[in-house]
Amino acid sequence: MTRKLCALALSLAMLLSLAGVAGADIPSELPRNETLYFAGQQWGAVLSWNIFGANQNNSLVIGGGAASRVIYFETLYMWNDLDGQLYPLLAQGEPVWNDEGTEITVKINPAAHFNNGEPVTANDVVAVWDAHVKYQTGTGVNGSTYISAVEAIDDGTVVFKAVLNDEGKPINPLELPNQICQLRITSAAWIAALDEKAGGDQDAFKNDPAYDIVASGPYAGSYYTDETKIVLERDDNYWGVALWGKLPAPKYLAHIFYADNAAGRAALEAGEVDVSQQFNSDVEKMWLEKGLPISTYIDEPPYQLGLVQPSAIYNLNIPVLNELAVRKAIAIAVDYDQINANAMTHQSATFEQVPRSLFNTTEGQQAAYDHDAVKDLQWAGKDIEGAKALLDEAGIVDSDGDGWREYNGEKITLNAVCPNGWSDWQASMEVVAATGKEIGVEITTFYPEAAEFYAVFQNPDQTQYAIYMQSIGGSGPTYPWNSIRQAMSGEFVGQQNNGSGNWGQYVNPHVDEIIAAIPQTSDEAELKALYTEAVQIYLTDIPSFQLMYRPSLFHTVNESVWTNYPEQGDEYGYPPNDLTDGYGVGALYELELVNP
Amino acid sequence: MKGYRKYFLKKLFWFAITLIAAVILNFALPRMMPSDPIATITQRVTEGMNNQNAVMQIYREYARKFGTDQPMWKQFFIYIGNLLKGDMGVSFQQYPRKVSDIVAASVVWTIALQLPAILVGWMIGNLLGALAAYLRKGFDKALVPISLFISGLPAFGLAVTLLVIFGITLKWLPISGGYSYDMLPSFSWRFIKSVIIHYQMPFWSIVLIAIGGQAIGMRSMSIYELNADYVKYSRFLGVKDRKVVGYVFRNAMLPQVTGLALSIGTMIGGALVAETIFSYPGLGSTIMGGITSADYPLISGVTLIITVMVLTMSFAIEMLYGVIDPRVKAAQSE
Repeated sequence: MTRKLCALALSLAMLLSLAGVAGADIPSELPRNETLYFAGQQWGAVLSWNIFGANQNNSLVIGGGAASRVIYFETLYMWNDLDGQLYPLLAQGEPVWNDEGTEITVKINPAAHFNNGEPVTANDVVAVWDAHVKYQTGTGVNGSTYISAVEAIDDGTVVFKAVLNDEGKPINPLELPNQICQLRITSAAWIAALDEKAGGDQDAFKNDPAYDIVASGPYAGSYYTDETKIVLERDDNYWGVALWGKLPAPKYLAHIFYADNAAGRAALEAGEVDVSQQFNSDVEKMWLEKGLPISTYIDEPPYQLGLVQPSAIYNLNIPVLNELAVRKAIAIAVDYDQINANAMTHQSATFEQVPRSLFNTTEGQQAAYDHDAVKDLQWAGKDIEGAKALLDEAGIVDSDGDGWREYNGEKITLNAVCPNGWSDWQASMEVVAATGKEIGVEITTFYPEAAEFYAVFQNPDQTQYAIYMQSIGGSGPTYPWNSIRQAMSGEFVGQQNNGSGNWGQYVNPHVDEIIAAIPQTSDEAELKALYTEAVQIYLTDIPSFQLMYRPSLFHTVNESVWTNYPEQGDEYGYPPNDLTDGYGVGALYELELVNP
Repeated sequence: MKGYRKYFLKKLFWFAITLIAAVILNFALPRMMPSDPIATITQRVTEGMNNQNAVMQIYREYARKFGTDQPMWKQFFIYIGNLLKGDMGVSFQQYPRKVSDIVAASVVWTIALQLPAILVGWMIGNLLGALAAYLRKGFDKALVPISLFISGLPAFGLAVTLLVIFGITLKWLPISGGYSYDMLPSFSWRFIKSVIIHYQMPFWSIVLIAIGGQAIGMRSMSIYELNADYVKYSRFLGVKDRKVVGYVFRNAMLPQVTGLALSIGTMIGGALVAETIFSYPGLGSTIMGGITSADYPLISGVTLIITVMVLTMSFAIEMLYGVIDPRVKAAQSE
């Protein structure tokens, strides 16, 4: 009896401590056949639902880049990573540039309405933008660099006006569609109510948890969240039936907050997770050796769609790294197949499959440059003898016979750095360090905590880290231009707290001219020539070098409950965005139950 | 009574001095880490932003909000001023969440897991240790190596072993969470049953380790006491064995009680291993996240709670010793 009472007390105490936040009456037991479970998108408790907030930690609801998460809040357009196109969501038809190329007009889908039944209008879009600018949110501060104003022409038409340069052209035409496809829409009335409640106080406005925020997405029905999970319920009155022809298949989307990758992986293998946005090492063993109904977007290596390029950045504040021979020797000697095997367990395309440039593995980005023009510059790695010859030729030799080369009379000692606990990155740095040994350059690994790592490498004058990792590239309307900018732009040189690009302080005025020219160039041949030249310079000067390709979102699914997930070459053509982001959300509508 | 009052006041004085030192250290130590938490937050929230000036503006905004742009002495006095009002500040990583809210949301899970596990491990371990010392022979020979083995096992290894055997291979117990992944909290027996089932592996992963350590400690103390002169003398006088054993174990318990008090004092720090391996809710993983991201207010807040609890438990034990063992009070008040 005492034991039972203790158990009851324990359970009640925990129940009270959970004190979840719920919008409505989600059942206490989620029917498995109606629920799609996620892992790897959300870590830790949800902080806020406020799209203007500084730190929502609500990744299942507010996340993604150009391919924005659109299951709760919706954007005007959805980005498709596969074909590099925008698809209308709240919008109707394509965005239309005016003849002067200074503004974009977007029509709102007349069927669109919020979860409170109110229609989505151009005024809502304007109110969202104005609130971002007024309250100086990240979106507002960053976006107003490129967008001067957003105006409603009528209820169904909104115009985005570009910030113009001295020549009367947009300072960056690529940024307008990029901003538009990331703008999450809530209602003007809700914003006005919060505005009044906050009384003009910026922090009060941004820090409001916004439990009652209005949204238009398919899962803006109701929600439950506590310290352990979040559950979104489908809005069965969702307007998008007019767009998609039906409601998305799962009634509930749920995400358990796993402590780490290992716990998330165990749950995936146990069938408690359907969609895993985690790096699951040796993913193929789940189906080949364990016989589990688990699959990835691509059946064979590289299994995932490589959209970003984790790279080794050379710190050019360190004199020896200003020697091109040293940079090139290390880069061509690295065993990239070993990195792919050790760090990515073959979930990266090899550099034989997708030769290095600055662009991701999608057809759209690969078509941006002339492959033949740069093929002599694209090394595949493991060229130890070539690396040694380069160093010998540059006079960087081992003169005292200790096995290590010297530079200006001193033994070369470099470190290879990435944050502690980022196991795939650490495995890459180990391979880079091992390469050093083979060519007589001492490279030691160092793994500080992430907070220390960011503090050091974002200082433009730092000399503590010699070779360190950062990701270059991505997917969205500003890519692949943005990849070139991240890798080589002079605008970042000398910038404090620089998390945006060119962390190694590479200077090349000609590259800056190319970076300035690309957004203003519409002629395709000219554009291709510019991209090709940028790649040539990158592969010649080697301010950094790619170590692998990596997806923006890992996409591994368990098909024990749901099936018909996106697969490469299938009839639907949805990108592997975990069924939540950009155009990939369409896959939610095609899911089928294994046992209906 | 006068002697006890002097003893109490002396202990209280040192308690206060230690607390002041601890508050200073709790503030200073996290800030001595070679980190910039603002850079970490800015990196996270500006992902995808292309304008470095905008990124810098956001960095400065966070620095202003969190007061890290102020001189250290000023930050310290703001911290002390807030503490006196019962405000441990706002977490950097979980901004705008207050440290007190973060602790409140997780602490019940931590206490519910740690307190019973510490008490059960302590009781079973001491009982086994005392029995081994008293019974000797086969029981002792079996208990010592088993206890040494279990207490020597890394907590991580034991937890993973339990997970693999009972969770993944036998599928007897759930592998993660505080309650079933397909449930929402409710006042139902199914939910309560789910909580109890999910409790088992994290609980026993802590208890088993505790039993081994406690048993070894208690056995050593008991053997020492059993060979003490007063035991031999009592037996020589013909005092009943039961009575003698009672005294022996009461004396042997004293250091064990201190150990128990300190364990309870530090339990708020959370069972990091159990929480991580079994994705069990609690403060341990929250604190770990705070440390890796240099979340000064969270680290300072939680370490302050731990400090106060340890000091309070130590103080309580000292007071208790003064009552149950007059030798301690006599020695201390001289």
